[in-house]
Amino acid sequence: MRGHALALVVFGAAALTPLVLHDGFFLDSLILILMWGAVSGAWNVAGGYAGQVSLGHSAFFGIGAYSAALMATRWNASPWLGMLVGAVVATGAGLIIGYLANRLKGPYFALATIAFSQVLLIVASRWRAFTAGSEGVPVPFRPGLWTLGFASKVSWVYLVLGLALAVYAVQVYLERSRVGYQLAGVREDEDAAQALGIPSRRLKVVAVAASAALTSGCGTLWAQYVGFVDPFYVFSVDLSIRFALNTIIGGIGTAMGPFVGSILITSLETFLRATFSDVRGGLVGIYLIIYGCLLILVVRFIPRGLVGWFGERFRAMGLHARA
Amino acid sequence: MLELDAVTKRFGGLTAVGKVSLRASPGEILGIIGPNGAGKTTLFNVISGFYPPDEGRVLLDGRDVSHVPAHRICALGLCRTFQLVKPFGNLSAEDNVMIGALTRLTSVAAARNEARRVIALCRLEAFAGAPARSLPIGLRKRLEVARALATKPRLLLLDEVMAGLNATELGEMVTLLRRLHGEGLGLIIIEHIMAAMMRLAQRIVVLHHGEKIAEGTPEAITRDPRVVDAYLGEEFVLADA
Repeated sequence: MRGHALALVVFGAAALTPLVLHDGFFLDSLILILMWGAVSGAWNVAGGYAGQVSLGHSAFFGIGAYSAALMATRWNASPWLGMLVGAVVATGAGLIIGYLANRLKGPYFALATIAFSQVLLIVASRWRAFTAGSEGVPVPFRPGLWTLGFASKVSWVYLVLGLALAVYAVQVYLERSRVGYQLAGVREDEDAAQALGIPSRRLKVVAVAASAALTSGCGTLWAQYVGFVDPFYVFSVDLSIRFALNTIIGGIGTAMGPFVGSILITSLETFLRATFSDVRGGLVGIYLIIYGCLLILVVRFIPRGLVGWFGERFRAMGLHARA
Repeated sequence: MLELDAVTKRFGGLTAVGKVSLRASPGEILGIIGPNGAGKTTLFNVISGFYPPDEGRVLLDGRDVSHVPAHRICALGLCRTFQLVKPFGNLSAEDNVMIGALTRLTSVAAARNEARRVIALCRLEAFAGAPARSLPIGLRKRLEVARALATKPRLLLLDEVMAGLNATELGEMVTLLRRLHGEGLGLIIIEHIMAAMMRLAQRIVVLHHGEKIAEGTPEAITRDPRVVDAYLGEEFVLADA
């Protein structure tokens, strides 16, 4: 279990919580923490491990949400099927975005991804005949695993926990496998990677496409849980920034970073919203200001995020203990 | 075996490399010298697949590789280092070398072993766990060589790996390169340190304004008046005499 201690604590605590706490508000927070952690982990595959920082990942999230919701409402199809179709469509979109990553660097790539998500927003909110336009799509509730309808939040906790573990496993694979090391090389210095025989362009495209497919899968589950797909939410820049923010604060390029970031940001947001929602509207948006300050502090003082920072401290302590 | 057939590379109106032909036999040490801006590094970029030549051909074992991308050139057994070293800064020295080894090996464990072997060969054991960015320039140059070696090349292109080394480090690098040559590795070396070049190179090609102005044994090159004019200078000849 070397290196998995933090994961064991976090996911173990998540698995035990429903046995102790039955309060719907807490369980809902837990589900959202795991959900946003999982999407941020999916973002991390491209943004962290491959170094392709996207600010348009809501595009893939929305593709997953819409695929399942539309297939369920129009053809009565299972959301699992919708998830599969969404993942295929998102992979295709990811290949296009990944191709762009080979043309555009850094901020230009990030801008292109924002533009991509906004194009999808326009399509989804205007194409009334197909997507129901700006009204959004209510997801029909049909109880059962095949139709992904659970009245109990406890079932959702375990389902989303499974998703989180799957995303965690993908990230761990990227830390320890051949392709993961090669991606690290590409991220650190693309010229050197190419000189050492690494097909950097292909790897970047594959990483972005895999990240897109995972993000889309999360989008499907989210839509089934919330029960409604609003184009202005699922394709929003806010959402894309949330995925990046969780990961950067928790630790970019680390497997637990997105989850640690999500615990902090999601609970903070829930707390702040609950606290300031009564104050006649004036302070409702204050959580955004606090987000911004946190991001500045993290980037300035602990650029490797909480997991990276604590990891270094623990390693240093271990060395002292041995010495 | 590497062969260049009238290779030309232009940047806008500037001809960085003009109609350069040369060949390097298997296991040979070929030196490339010339003043700054002579086109040496551009020539390396063309050979290693980073720039396609505008004219002429690059042949590796008789096969035209002029338009083969860099990563495939490496797979064909030709690896290069960079004059401005490009370590994977946040990774450990060992991981740097291991990423090179993974080009030939699919198993991470096997690549890890191979990296340890190459690190020992290059005498970097004491720094294996250190992040590459923390190493001083001399060690970073050696890491650059180690990483390239881990890809198991038959021909290695070294772009000023001795610049900036102190006398001890320089001696170690020359010893290492001689040893690799003894094991059958071919080397093409760009270098300004003539003392090291004279000890290593079997043949030297001189570039000036992108063109090959001379080619021959180190002894012949240092007596060639065109080379003295363009690059070495009278002082070198006098000091040598």
